Amino acid sequence: MQNKSMTLLKILAAGLFGLAAILLSICIGSVYINIDDTLGILGNKLFNMRLVDSIDKNMVSILWEVRIPRALTAFFVGGALAVSGLIMQSILQNPLASSYTLGVSSGASLGAAILIVMGVGGTIWGFFLLPFVGFMCGFLTVLIVILIASRIDEGLHNHTIILFGMVFSLFINAILTMISALNQSHMQRLILWQMGTFSGKRWSHVAVISIVTMIVLIITSFFHKELDIISFGDEGAMSIGVNTRKTKIILIVLAAVFTGVSVCFAGVIGFVDLMVPHIVRKIYGYNHRITIPMSMLVGGAFMSLCDLIARVVLAPQDIPVGAITALLGGPFFLLVYFGGRK
Amino acid sequence: MPEKKNIISISHVFAGYSSGKKENDYVLKDISLDIREGSSVSIIGSNGSGKTTLLRVIAGLLRHRGKVLFDQKNIDTMTRKQIAARIALLSQVSHVYFSYNVYDTIMQGRYVHNSFWGDYSRDNKEIVDETIETFGLSQIVDKKITSLSGGQLQKVMLARCIAQRSPVILLDEPMNHLDLKVQAEFMHYLNEWKRNGVAWADGKKYMPTIIGVFHDINIAARMADDVVCLKDGKILLSGEKKEVITSETLCDVFDFDIVSFLRDVWAM
Repeated sequence: MQNKSMTLLKILAAGLFGLAAILLSICIGSVYINIDDTLGILGNKLFNMRLVDSIDKNMVSILWEVRIPRALTAFFVGGALAVSGLIMQSILQNPLASSYTLGVSSGASLGAAILIVMGVGGTIWGFFLLPFVGFMCGFLTVLIVILIASRIDEGLHNHTIILFGMVFSLFINAILTMISALNQSHMQRLILWQMGTFSGKRWSHVAVISIVTMIVLIITSFFHKELDIISFGDEGAMSIGVNTRKTKIILIVLAAVFTGVSVCFAGVIGFVDLMVPHIVRKIYGYNHRITIPMSMLVGGAFMSLCDLIARVVLAPQDIPVGAITALLGGPFFLLVYFGGRK
Repeated sequence: MPEKKNIISISHVFAGYSSGKKENDYVLKDISLDIREGSSVSIIGSNGSGKTTLLRVIAGLLRHRGKVLFDQKNIDTMTRKQIAARIALLSQVSHVYFSYNVYDTIMQGRYVHNSFWGDYSRDNKEIVDETIETFGLSQIVDKKITSLSGGQLQKVMLARCIAQRSPVILLDEPMNHLDLKVQAEFMHYLNEWKRNGVAWADGKKYMPTIIGVFHDINIAARMADDVVCLKDGKILLSGEKKEVITSETLCDVFDFDIVSFLRDVWAM
């Protein structure tokens, strides 16, 4: 039973890590707000406690209107990407699969590019339409991939899904490149959209992404037994009693929703989806009952920290957070994954 | 003794992997076979004769022409869960990427007896513990399956298959990777089950029907009551092993004088 308490301890550690990551990214910024004031403001906003007089009203609005929504958005995006990566790696039995394998990001980028070229990007309409259209196009791409892959190959084998997903994704990327080449004036905006950022996120963003992410997370959790079994291979899973075809399609759609919301809120951020599941499995073992929530937590905490670094290092300029995830995550991943070896 | 009913009836089955419809595209060509409840059957034949393909058809994993009936019911109309509750399959172990521990792996065999919602229920623990003990795996229950030897892994997968407690058990080369000693143990389990049955969670016992594919003629002969000989996707001969396993039949099945070959080995 030592095993069980050890796991519990590790889960607790991840919880603390997540909390610390969010608190840190709330406190630190161009204006440093110390931890007492931060907790004071949180207490005031959440539990209606009396605000200490020494706290500047500006600080309250920086914290409540800017930093907290930004940190929470980063947290949910990171978590969503990590869980979708976990799903894809398990059902495709491929440690290199990620949430982008099926072309969510290229589809979403193409949708956004078309809107931007049409000149909708900068308008107030664009503010609402871009994420929505981005999400729909990313999602549509995945549906097309599954639909055609299941037509070509009735058993819906992994190599069919991966190969067709990659081919289709490259095909869409080519269209994207052509659109960018023919519309150089819009290119900058498109690149910015793809790179993504967490700046300027409001509570409305947090509301949408947290609700979507939590719902998809809960549905995904119900499939933990199936995910365990499918990761051994399709045929074995079928003879144990899993309807692999149906289960795979449902899980791919869930992963696509995860990735779709992240891309439309924060652009195409790599690395988290690929590496966080590996790190989580290394620490918590392979059981999906644990790895699903832990990927959410670790992915979220990791993304909050990356965003903190992205906005602090060269302040007041923001560095694209996708660059930080890879710069910071690469060595961290090597440390965790190969650290145990002599 | 009363005549036992057929638990599996295969009639005029054609199956294969290519999309063509010509006779030669099929691996299995017009197979018809009845398997009695509680019997044990060995399928023998040379490489490429369709042994594994036949098992996959019975397990409902391969599209086919013709009918496969389980207890009068067509397999094609059943859901995966319904099939798995009736038929368990031990596939040939390929590479495993993800390292679950031995206990969790064997517990997966109980999937079909649990609802979609929630975790494996407590009643499964008893069967899993018993299976672990039967196979002598108690020492390694906490080990990761990627750290096991080929033989240990084969035992674990076999335990997972047995934990499923399906009345029909299909074994595809179950002795692969196993030491002679473990092979002997394994045959002992099989004989034990044939004699006394396998216990369900509620203590009731049932007589499993065991269908195995074996390369090794000795094991095939020892393990089964009946033997089916496949050659080029057709059934050359089938029936009680005493009638089927003769030196002429074996020469015919393997295109090779296997009996004098084995005699030479023992003479050395």
